[in-house]
Amino acid sequence: MVVPMPFLEGIMSISNRPMPFSAVDGELLRVEDLRVYFGHHKAPVRAVDGVSLAVRRGESVGLVGESGCGKTTVGRAVMKLVEIIEGRILFGGYDITSLRGGNLREYRKQAQMVFQDPYGSLNARMPVGQAIEEVLHVHKRGDRAQRRKQASELFHAVGLNPEYLGRYPHEFSGGQRQRIGIARALAVGPSLIIADEPVSALDVSVQIQILNLLRDLQRNMGLSYLFVAHDLSVVRYMCDRIMVMYLGKIVESGSSERIYSFPSHPYTEALLSSVPDVGKGLDSRKGGSKRIVLKGDMPSPTRQIPGCPFHTRCHRARDKCRVDAPRLRRVHPYQWSACHYAEELLEENRTASGTSKSDAF
Amino acid sequence: METKENILLEVKDLRVHFGDEHDPVRAVDGISFSIHKGETSALVGESGCGKSVTAMALARLVPQPPGIYAGGEIYYYGNDVLKMSARRLRQMRGNDISYVFQDPSASLNPVFRIGYQIGEVLHLHRRGLNIRNESIELMRLVGIPDPANRLDSYPHELSGGMQQRVMIAMALACRPKLLVADEPTTALDVTIQAQILELLASLQQRLGMAVLLITHNLGLVAGMAHRIHVMYSGRIVESGFAEDVLLHPRHPYTRGLLNAVPRLNGVEGRLEGIEGNVPNPRDMPSGCKFHPRCPYRREVCIEREPADEEVREGWLSRCHFWREL
Repeated sequence: MVVPMPFLEGIMSISNRPMPFSAVDGELLRVEDLRVYFGHHKAPVRAVDGVSLAVRRGESVGLVGESGCGKTTVGRAVMKLVEIIEGRILFGGYDITSLRGGNLREYRKQAQMVFQDPYGSLNARMPVGQAIEEVLHVHKRGDRAQRRKQASELFHAVGLNPEYLGRYPHEFSGGQRQRIGIARALAVGPSLIIADEPVSALDVSVQIQILNLLRDLQRNMGLSYLFVAHDLSVVRYMCDRIMVMYLGKIVESGSSERIYSFPSHPYTEALLSSVPDVGKGLDSRKGGSKRIVLKGDMPSPTRQIPGCPFHTRCHRARDKCRVDAPRLRRVHPYQWSACHYAEELLEENRTASGTSKSDAF
Repeated sequence: METKENILLEVKDLRVHFGDEHDPVRAVDGISFSIHKGETSALVGESGCGKSVTAMALARLVPQPPGIYAGGEIYYYGNDVLKMSARRLRQMRGNDISYVFQDPSASLNPVFRIGYQIGEVLHLHRRGLNIRNESIELMRLVGIPDPANRLDSYPHELSGGMQQRVMIAMALACRPKLLVADEPTTALDVTIQAQILELLASLQQRLGMAVLLITHNLGLVAGMAHRIHVMYSGRIVESGFAEDVLLHPRHPYTRGLLNAVPRLNGVEGRLEGIEGNVPNPRDMPSGCKFHPRCPYRREVCIEREPADEEVREGWLSRCHFWREL
């Protein structure tokens, strides 16, 4: 389904006021050595511990990891919703790390967020149309009639019937509510959307509808996505590049095509082998792919782990890993890994791929 | 394979409704399937399809009211669970059929120690045991490290994965013949999910019990189940061996579901999935309940509900046009 975009010009014309930002060589967002700590300064929770990333215009970058790895906090830091301890965030070449007041509001017209639980992020006592108009009102867009018209155009764009604008959140299904969440994020005409687990609360058949909507919107409006999710199959469907996080750090990053075929970090390797997947599942019945089961749980993020943060659970850990913390380094033209033995792992997977991986689907 | 002796539990035309007897919500509306000894079967479907209600009904756990057992039989070793005396039912629950649910933190009592909660099951069903030793043995069975000390922990002191292990330990306390696992890993992280699945598979082998897996995740089913039953709107629309159903689906809903799940290898181009939403149980469509969302629908689908048709022995489809799929 291709979503028609008749409203696009409307939004563009209103949003054409001068912006303090301009694009530099296609890079829309750049995060440099970001650190976000919570709690007491003596034993802080190092939610994000030195993360750098970039999102280009029109690109989708996936941030994956398990709960507590810090992926959501990265998204919130980019939105300037949490306090940043260290590091810089550049948007369109401008440093927005310490923006406040009116400038911050200008920035948030460009960067918007879509949340996991669309019911929790909508006011149960406010008709959804009003919830969308409110965004436009806060950002001082048009008069009341124009706002109403735009809300109905937005509804249409996300595949909802504008006649439902007067209804309340509980009158919609989960998928429809997520469409409303997306419409609200699009209301001010952003160029970057931070989507935090946008489909994980939805049923399988509805998930794909929302993912397709996000893809269509991206194509039609040239949006960039920072896509935060734990589901590797979903991220694969959406993203050109991915970053794998563990305990506040990026352990592997690169093109998704490359990483999904040839992981170069044992954590990515274990994650990929743990995800239940139809093709892999059927394959395993014939004795094909074998699941790597990690031992234990993720350590508490208050604890400072010497050496590689993953060594406590790593199925390939050696002595060096317990003392020497690996840095993220380039191991392939399109791949970066924070494992001392990345080359070994790549080599192993390359040899193995000759046999089993080629016929796996 | 399909002999009667292998069948542990047989569900025949089960109907479980909710609310007003005259205008009920038909959550489960005429489903039949069998669970075979030592096998893993799966009930697959999206939220509201009736899979959890079916699972609860197997041990008559659906509360009445609001639940109404409106028809059908559930035979367990020749006895109808729906007609059993309360006493016999109490014996059966936990002893023969036990359950593991989705959210372990909601199933465990936060104010009692783990040891007490495991011991309670043993106390109720297996008098005369050394409860402490048996609890430690159970915790070891499910891979909880340092079980003697963990007995004194409260649920909040354990991680989600460990809590689920405790739930499994409790479910296995009486060595049931059937373990019903309702979305047992949905609340857990991927790597922990793998641990629990591995555990369930190994326990099943060692104890020779049957497992009924309730899930929305087709990937899980593909890796674990021998037989699958795909549910939609309170009905089983397709059932058969997992390889058959997943590789050559003979119902448009199964096909749509498979087409809605992105694959890890990313080979598919754009996935189309299924349009529209699950129907409102208060406002069911006529004929085939899937027809409003079905890309293959024709006139007859709107008028008449299809019956089960045999694709092959042990493989059923509820579609007028399964031959053409």
